[in-house]
Amino acid sequence: MEVQEVIHKPLFEAEPIYSMWLRELIRFFAMRSRILATFASPLIWLLFLGIPLSEIFASGASQNVPGGLPFFAFIVPGIVSMGLLFGGTNSGVTVLWDKEFGFLKEVMVAPVRRTSLMIGRSLGALTIALIQALTTIGIALILGTWLGFRIISVAGFLLAIGFMIIMFFAFVGFGLTLGAMIENTEGFTTIIRMIEFPMFFLSGALLPITVIKGIPILYQLQFINPLTYGVDGVRGLFTGVFILPPWLDLTVIVAFALLFLFLGAYAFSRMEVD
Amino acid sequence: MTEDVIGVHDLTKKFGDFVAVDHINFAVKRGEIFGFLGPNGAGKSTAIKMLTTLLHPTSGSAEICGYDVVKDSEEVRRHIGIVFQDRSSDDYLTGRQNLDFHARMYEMSREERESKIEEVLDLLELKGKENIKLHNLPEGVRRRFEVARGFMTRPDVVFLDEPTIGFDIKARMDLWNQIKRAREIEGVTVSLTTHFIEEANYLCDRVAIIDKAKIIALDTPQKLKEAVGSDLISLQIADGGEKRAAFMEKVNELDWITRAEEYSNSILLNAESGEGRVADLIDFADTHGFVITSIDEHEPSLEDVFLYFTGRTIREAEGG
Repeated sequence: MEVQEVIHKPLFEAEPIYSMWLRELIRFFAMRSRILATFASPLIWLLFLGIPLSEIFASGASQNVPGGLPFFAFIVPGIVSMGLLFGGTNSGVTVLWDKEFGFLKEVMVAPVRRTSLMIGRSLGALTIALIQALTTIGIALILGTWLGFRIISVAGFLLAIGFMIIMFFAFVGFGLTLGAMIENTEGFTTIIRMIEFPMFFLSGALLPITVIKGIPILYQLQFINPLTYGVDGVRGLFTGVFILPPWLDLTVIVAFALLFLFLGAYAFSRMEVD
Repeated sequence: MTEDVIGVHDLTKKFGDFVAVDHINFAVKRGEIFGFLGPNGAGKSTAIKMLTTLLHPTSGSAEICGYDVVKDSEEVRRHIGIVFQDRSSDDYLTGRQNLDFHARMYEMSREERESKIEEVLDLLELKGKENIKLHNLPEGVRRRFEVARGFMTRPDVVFLDEPTIGFDIKARMDLWNQIKRAREIEGVTVSLTTHFIEEANYLCDRVAIIDKAKIIALDTPQKLKEAVGSDLISLQIADGGEKRAAFMEKVNELDWITRAEEYSNSILLNAESGEGRVADLIDFADTHGFVITSIDEHEPSLEDVFLYFTGRTIREAEGG
């Protein structure tokens, strides 16, 4: 009978997790372009897409906006969700970047669990994504005094943050899984775009999902898209207007998060560094 | 006290049908600088990757400080420092941040980290450069930070994969001396791969010459060179081919020539040491109707050792 050697290692490796988190943040603040993008990108979406679309809906299509929301209030949670989707899956790209630039090798030979590396890195990416989400909401609240976006309650806001964290981890897992499966950075960006954009467009983030009710397949596709449930949850918690049952939003997002975090952790632990 | 820090037994790695490392055996003692010398593609990096737990051997085994590289890979990792051949630091962090990050991964305390960073900065002569982002530093300095990182965690063995590749001669000399000094001060064992003859010769206590996945010779540089013989004379004969073959036959009659070999278009002779061998050879050639177009006498180098064991120069071996 083979005797399995017991390795005494703490289940929770605080220092390595912290240092992976710290590294993500140092890198973020070291790159001025990334800081700039964090503030500029929500502004661009809100100003150059949010306002024009609001105009269209204000002039005759307002019956399509659920719960009688001003369109601007409708689109803000969608743009916040988009940040989570892109930010989360992007963390898969950074795993690959590290792989190409050799940094991953140095980390992989450290006597640290790979899951700790993953947790630390994801927490770093989460922190950055939350900075971006809060920036977006902050800008939206200012514009919202004219355009009609406000947060209905503090409890809703706090629940929304919690829900967004789960959502973010779901997309981190999704990105990691894809990242570990695809070999080179170029291929990754192409494939990620081909998955991210349809997910984003067919999620009710920009336009109400009921707009395409009469179009078969396209309409149904929205319901197999996990982001649809994420967007609905975030929107409901911010504005009080849910299209789908809140429990369904939560169930789908939690299930999606668990599935892909498991797959991502598995793929990451098996990834060859060479 | 002499004790084996690295023990390697019939270590083999195959990639499909390709044998990258073929049943190699050696042991490295504490405090030694041990080098793998061989052309690119000889299997040096694959061997070092198995010793550093990055690749699993196909067969055979290896221990570092008594820990098996497969079964106790975690323990092995705690006892080694690695300097990879490819760049493996974060360009967007400063040298100090990179070192600090590395130390945190090994759960070193703050005091330990700070004192050790000072120490390795000193060791590799990096003081004053530690707060600059790596992508703003020249390649040689960046590389030195990676070497410094290899010494951060008080390892028993530091592995260096082609440490001075892409260096100019001055930077190379500096790093060699820094590595030697680090060994003296830290008492650490160093294992490195190189395809630079001078590097193996200057830096290593013992050298394993590796070619086509096998270790073909292993000893101190001095002993390896002695194995080749005393003085070496290389010469070229005018009119090539047949003339050269005829000369080979004749020259073997000289009792002070111990060995004569033909390599591509030149002849390499081992001569018993003595005065005026070159002049004697020229006279000898004259008498028998040969014209020597070039002649050169030198002490054997590791290049000659490689040539002696493989029949090729390292450069030729790399050319294919």
